[in-house]
Order: sequence, then structure tokens, then C-alpha cells
Amino acid sequence: MFASFNKVNGIGIIIFYGIIMPIFIISCSSSPKKHSNIEVVDFRGQKINLEKPAERIVCLIESATSGLFMLDLGKNIVGVSTNIYDDDIYKYYSVLDERIKNKSLPTPGNWDFVSIESVVALKPDIVIIWASQTESINALENIGIPVYGVMLNSYNDVYKEIEDFGILTGKTQRADSLISYTKAEVEKLKKAAGRIENKKSIYFMWAQGMLETSGKNSTVNQLIELGGCTNVCIENEEHLIVNSEKIIEWNPDIILMWCNSKMEPEDVLKKNEWQSINAVKNKNVFELPSIFYSDLWTLKFPQAARFLMHNAYPKLDISINPDSSCSEMTKFLYNTTLPLP
Amino acid sequence: MKKNRLILYIVYALPLPLIVLSICIGPSDVFNFNDALIWLKNHLFCSNEPNENSYIIQTILLNVRLPRILLAFMAGGVLAVSGAAMQAIFRNPLVSPYILGLSSGAAFGAALALSISFAQVQVFAFGFGLIAVAMSYLAAIRQKQVSTVSLILSGVIVGGIFTALLTIVQFMSDPFKLQTIVAWTMGNMHNTNWASVESVFIPVILSILILFIFRWKLNVLALGDQEAQSSGLNPQRSRIIVLVAATLASSAIISVTGVIGLFGLIVPHMVRMMVGPNNSVAIPVNFVFGGMFLLIIDDFSRTLYSFEIPIGIFTMLIGAPFFLYLMKKTKTVWE
Amino acid sequence: MGINNTNLSIRDLSFNYGEKSILKSINYDFKPNKLTFILGRNGSGKSTLLRIMAGLVKPNNGQVLINSKNISDFSLKERASVLGFMSQHHTAIFPFTVLDVVLTGMVSTIKIAPSKQDYDLAAKAIERAGIAHLTERIYTELSGGEQQLVMIARVLAQQPKILLLDEPTSSLDFCNQIHVLTLLKKLSAEGITVICVLHDPNAAFQFGDEFVFLKDGAVFYPDNDSNIKSPNFLSSVFMMPLDIISIKDRTIIYSKDLPE
Repeated sequence: MFASFNKVNGIGIIIFYGIIMPIFIISCSSSPKKHSNIEVVDFRGQKINLEKPAERIVCLIESATSGLFMLDLGKNIVGVSTNIYDDDIYKYYSVLDERIKNKSLPTPGNWDFVSIESVVALKPDIVIIWASQTESINALENIGIPVYGVMLNSYNDVYKEIEDFGILTGKTQRADSLISYTKAEVEKLKKAAGRIENKKSIYFMWAQGMLETSGKNSTVNQLIELGGCTNVCIENEEHLIVNSEKIIEWNPDIILMWCNSKMEPEDVLKKNEWQSINAVKNKNVFELPSIFYSDLWTLKFPQAARFLMHNAYPKLDISINPDSSCSEMTKFLYNTTLPLP
Repeated sequence: MKKNRLILYIVYALPLPLIVLSICIGPSDVFNFNDALIWLKNHLFCSNEPNENSYIIQTILLNVRLPRILLAFMAGGVLAVSGAAMQAIFRNPLVSPYILGLSSGAAFGAALALSISFAQVQVFAFGFGLIAVAMSYLAAIRQKQVSTVSLILSGVIVGGIFTALLTIVQFMSDPFKLQTIVAWTMGNMHNTNWASVESVFIPVILSILILFIFRWKLNVLALGDQEAQSSGLNPQRSRIIVLVAATLASSAIISVTGVIGLFGLIVPHMVRMMVGPNNSVAIPVNFVFGGMFLLIIDDFSRTLYSFEIPIGIFTMLIGAPFFLYLMKKTKTVWE
Repeated sequence: MGINNTNLSIRDLSFNYGEKSILKSINYDFKPNKLTFILGRNGSGKSTLLRIMAGLVKPNNGQVLINSKNISDFSLKERASVLGFMSQHHTAIFPFTVLDVVLTGMVSTIKIAPSKQDYDLAAKAIERAGIAHLTERIYTELSGGEQQLVMIARVLAQQPKILLLDEPTSSLDFCNQIHVLTLLKKLSAEGITVICVLHDPNAAFQFGDEFVFLKDGAVFYPDNDSNIKSPNFLSSVFMMPLDIISIKDRTIIYSKDLPE
């Protein structure tokens, strides 16, 4: 009766586990090591070797995608992150790429989810993804797909990213020219900042909440200093939440908001507890105009600095007009004209 | 009795066809179910029909889908068996493998690893899961004896501690890391590969074997400590063995799949309603049925393409109504 | 089953519950192959004594010896093959069948899972307990009395040489009481030493061979002149006025304070 069943149970399970599964596991071997001439080290410290320049690229980071277009690699992109199709970003990319305009470019993932199957189906030569997405990276590398992991903390990191992309795709010349251009813009800003005697203090406000800011060790901090100001937040963290009291204590001259769909500078000016802050009293609350143009993780970061400097020191004799410098920059970086913010 | 035998036949016959079916379904736009079936037929019967898509199909079927399917099966089986075993040794039908703080500890470990860049998430999750259970056990020991009630109580408290620690880690993380942590705790298998399957294979096999050997003794333990002792079974020692086995397996699974809630609680009840509470029969059925059930749920989870719902949510949405339905139909009434 | 001579003796057994002394230095040699009843008032220590003898509770002092070997020197399995214990209270959570419950008594014989022989043995034990018609029923759905019979079948399935039972008839109706006590008597005749705690001395006197009276944690013996079936002794043990009636060779105890 049941006794014989137990034997059947036991045998069945042993067969399944002892024989069938090992067959599957053994039959799927790992990929052999390749020999190559193209080599970069990504932000994880991982070496990436390619036999030939990458032709099919899946890029799951919007800012990196921007960089690829700057390198004139648009046609090599076979997959992008889902936020390319977000309204305020889509309007720029639809000009850059016909497939994006027709919404026909596949989106196999983004910063919190990657469909491994969909990535594999696109047959990429390389996948560009945030270094923090360790599990997805493991999954892809295990199947033998090269992965370039990105982690950006400063504009030097942005230079490295563009440089590495250039090496991986054989576009080293264009990469160098992009980087030199940006460095020159940075020099211009530094010179202008050098002429400022009393640097204004800034509180930077992320869009997730009024109390979210960045400290000394961040791209935001670099932006602020490039814009000729100082960051009131002296903590080291890249991203942190402070409290209202602290902000009042810091008493920033300017409040700079990241592009915020939920709040306008007027809303900040209305905040009761902050009425004593200089920035509020003098109505020096500004919002960066466009995610696309202010992206601190691309070579467009000087534009954000220009915007800041222009608004912080309106009377200073610096010929920095954000709008015209914006079109100039776009022309150089993308080789085309894009709508203004 | 006849009905029971029929159920058993069905339960044991289904896994293989289900696995084959699962391999062939998926979200890919590049090929569809038929293509997959054709490729499978070719591969198994060694006929040669080169298809331009062959390499992609092979990679996806064998390296993306198959490991995930096997992991889903193992995870479902382990959680169900561990749940059944824990319910027996605690003589409480409301416990799950997570009762001793396992899930909270593992989630905390994973969160910690995710915020210390590039630390091994799997190892941390596994380790902290075990630490939490050990803490619960040590907290409940009095004069070398552990009563089931005090064990459950300390489990709840240790679980609470780790949940609080988890919240602290989450609070201090930037949005990127926070998103990854939250996704992890909700359970997901979309990054499964052969490496993750291999890493859990051994602890799972060992533990399942131990629980399989102990399956009839669980009946004795379920009756009570006195009854067990007087008939010759040491309840303390047996409880530790079962607990260690169930915890090792569950912790190994959590470390690669994240927290799949409710599953280890519900499935043993379903199985009990189908084949009765005799653990001698129920334990193997729990493994096979639990494996199939989670596999089916994961199939849903990954083929509804546009956004992958974390599997933990799915187990709730699919498992709970099915369980309610069984509850209404069944005649057994809990006291 | 044959006659076996497994002796159970207690030496200097003491047990305290905190400050309170429950058992005071008890010495007794239980006669093998006999049905012995342990009698006394509630709180006299009967159940505690039985549980110490079963090895479930450790005494503060003294030993329990089976054939001169201390039971703490037995492994759990060895002890279970010699000593069977049925406690007074049972709770079951899971809806096991009667057959499955009875099988759980056979830990010392079942290796990993029950075999056909194990099932047969269990069926035999169920029959002996008189509940063959309940074999496939769900234990949690049975009445208190039926459940008690299941537990008796369970301890029978264990096939021990010494049976210790704590109030095995407490939930049983009159007929089943007689059935169980008769069964115990038969078992003792077949060579099993049966030791039973009972609260009804009349039932005990009807079936028992030997009697142990506990009063205030000690074995209470009659004075030299009287025997245990005398009114003085019984009144003293149970601490209330009692009288007896002898009919043929049976003794029946009744309360002197019965209303007219």
C-alpha cells in the first residue's frame, strides 16, 4: 500500500536529482576565454576584452546612451533603457534616432530590472549597465556576454566613460575630441569663477524630496564649484537626507533645484519655516531647466554650471548666455540641432 | 484511498512535462513557442535543421530559462517541505520556514551586502539567515531544553530586530541601492543562471535528503514531546536535526531568490488537504507539488513581459485565493 | 508472548517541585507479570511517580531500576522497547488517522518508514484495543473516550515489557472501562508487567493483583493487624470515612456519609 509508494517516491526523486539534473548542469559549460586586442577596465575594476570593436551595443543607462550618440554610435545601439521613452527625454532622442521616434528600439531593462532573455535575443557585443546591478551583471557574464559597469562620482569619471567607449568601439578620435572640448569649457568656467570674490553658498535640492541633497563627494558638488559657488552641505556623502533645521542653520544664498516635476521654485518660496533663509528672502531659488541638458553624468555637465553661474551672478560681466551656449554645445556634441529646454 | 492514489500518480507524473513546457514559454519576441518546441525536438532527437536563430534559442533555452526553471522548482520544493517539517516539529500549522527570523536575517544580510559595494550578496544573505535562526534558538534555550512556544516567540523577536536593522540600512542608502534592496526583498529570479543553481544544489540536496529520511518521524514529533520520548524518539535532538536541515535549505534558497512570502506556509496546507497529514506521504508530495506550483507561478511572472512582478507578490495573488478555495471545500476542521 | 521477568524497582525516590516536596524517599519493588494499581488522593504524587518511572521526569534523588539497571543508563530506544507509557492528557493538532497515530508508537521498530509488517502489527494492536472499526477515522474527530482507546492501542503497538498507564479509563464509559481493565489483566497474564494509576479504588480492586497506596508523597502501608482492604486503612489513606462490603471474594468501598 503506502509502503510501496514510499519506494516509488524515493526512486523517482533519486532519478530526478541523481541523473537528470547533473546531465543538464554538465551539458551547459561555460564559455572559453577569448584572446583580444581591445581591452578596457570598467568602473568595477573588471577587465573587458573584445576581439574587435563592438558593433551591437545594449545600453541600459540613459546618460551613457547620450554619450554613445555623441560618439556617433547611434546606429550601433540595439537596445536601450526604458526611460528613453519618458516624455521629457523622448523628445530629444526622437530627433537623434528614427527608431526611437517610432518607438521601435527595444528596451530590455533599466536601472532596477533587466530581462536577461531579451538582452540575449539582441545579440549584443557589449552591455552597458550600472555597476550596482551586480546580479544582472553576473547573469549576463555567466552566459558569456561582456559587460561594462558604470559608476560615476565626478566629471573625471565621465571622461573615463567616454574614453572607454571610444576604445571599445574604435571611435578613439571622436572620444578625444569630445573630451578636449569639454575640458576647454571647464577651463572657461574655472577662469570665470576665479574672478568671483565672494562666492555664494548653495543648497542643492534633489527632486525626491526637499531634504535630499548631496555632499562634498559628488558630481553635484563639482557642479556647484564649477558654477563659482560653495556647497552648504559639508558632509561627505554623495546622497543624504538632512533636516529642515540644518538647512535654516546653513542659511544658503541660493537654492538650486534639480529638475522637479512635482514642485516649482514658487513652492519653495512659500515654505513657512524657510522664510528666514537668504535664498528665500531674496527669491534666489532656481530650478535646472531640463534633465537632458543638465545631466551631470554626461559631457553636458558644463551647461548646468553655466546655468548656475548665470543665475547666481547676473550682474557679473561673464558672457555666458545659457541658451546660446546650449545650442553651441549641442551642435558640437551631437552634430545636430535639438529642441531647447 | 483510491482518490489519494490517483492524486499521487498525477502529482508525480506532472513535473517532467511541466518543465518541458516551461522551457518553451517565455517573453522573447525573437522566437515563439513553436520555434522552441522544434529546437527541442531537434536537440533531443539529434536531427540537423540549422536555423539562423538556433544559437540564440539554444542560449536562451539552456542558459537563461532552464536554470531558472530548475531553481524555481527547487525553491518551491524546499520551501514547501521546510514549511511542512516546521509545522510538524512546532505542532503549529501557522508556522513557515521563516518563523525563526530567517527571512528577516537574510534580507538584512542582502541589504548590507548591497550597500557595501560589490560584497557578495548571496553569501551575506545565507550567513545572516543562519545567524538569525541560531540567535532565536540560543535565546530560547533554558536548562538545555527548548520549548516550542519559547522558540517561536524568540523567532518573532529576532525577526523584528533584523527587520529594524534592515530598515536602518534602507534608510541610509541612496535611491539606486534602495531600489535594489527593495527588489531583492520582494523575491525575484530574473537573474538566475547556472552559477546560482550550482551554489544552492548541494545544501538543497543534503537537506531534502535529511528531511526525506525523517519524514515518518515527523508524525511522531507532531504528536507531542512526551509521546515522542515515551516511544523512543528524542524530541530535542530530532527537532534540531530537522530545524538545521530546513534552515540550511531555506537559507540557501533565499540567498538566490530573495524572500518568497507565504509559500512555505500555504503549500503544506494544500498538500495536507490533498493527501492528508501523514508526513510519510506528504513530505515527498510537498516537494514535488511545491516545486511545480512555484514553477507555474514563476512562468506567469516571467511571461507577462513588460514588467516583471516580483514573485513574492505573485505567490500572494495566486496562492492565497487558491488556498481559500481549498479551505472552503475541505471537510477537515481545525480545533 | 510468554512469561518474562522484567523487574521494576524504585529506590529512595524523591522529587520536589520548587519548595514543595512531592515524593519522599519511595522504595518499592513492583511484582513482574502482575497488574499493579497505584491509588491515592489527588495531589498524592501518583502521576509524578509514574512519569519518573517512565523516565520523562528526573527525580531529585533516588533511582528507577529495571532488572537492576538504572533507567538513565538505557538509551532512549532501548528504554522504549522495554517501557511503554501512556499519559493522561493528549492533544493532537493534525488530523491524523487512527492508524497513523497508532503507528507512531512503533518508533523502536520502524527504521525509516513503516513497512507492511509494521502496518499489520498496528492493526493487531488496534483490534486488541477494540477499536478496529475506527481504523480509518480521523483522530481529532473522535470522542474523548475513543481517543483514549487509540492511545492505548498506540502503547500496545509499542510492545513493551512494562506498561505504565496514567488514568487510562478517565474518559471511558462504563463498558469500555471494563473492556480496558480486562485487557490490562489479560496482558499481565501474558507476561507484561502492568502498572496503572487509577483514581477509582473499586475498579482497581475488581481487576488488580497488587496495590500501592500513596499518601503525602510516601507509600502508605497498613498497620500490622489490618490489611489494605480494611475500612480503617482505607479511611486513613483517602482521609474520609469509608466502609466496605465483601460479596463473595470481592470488596466494594463506599462512603459512610451517604445520605439516608
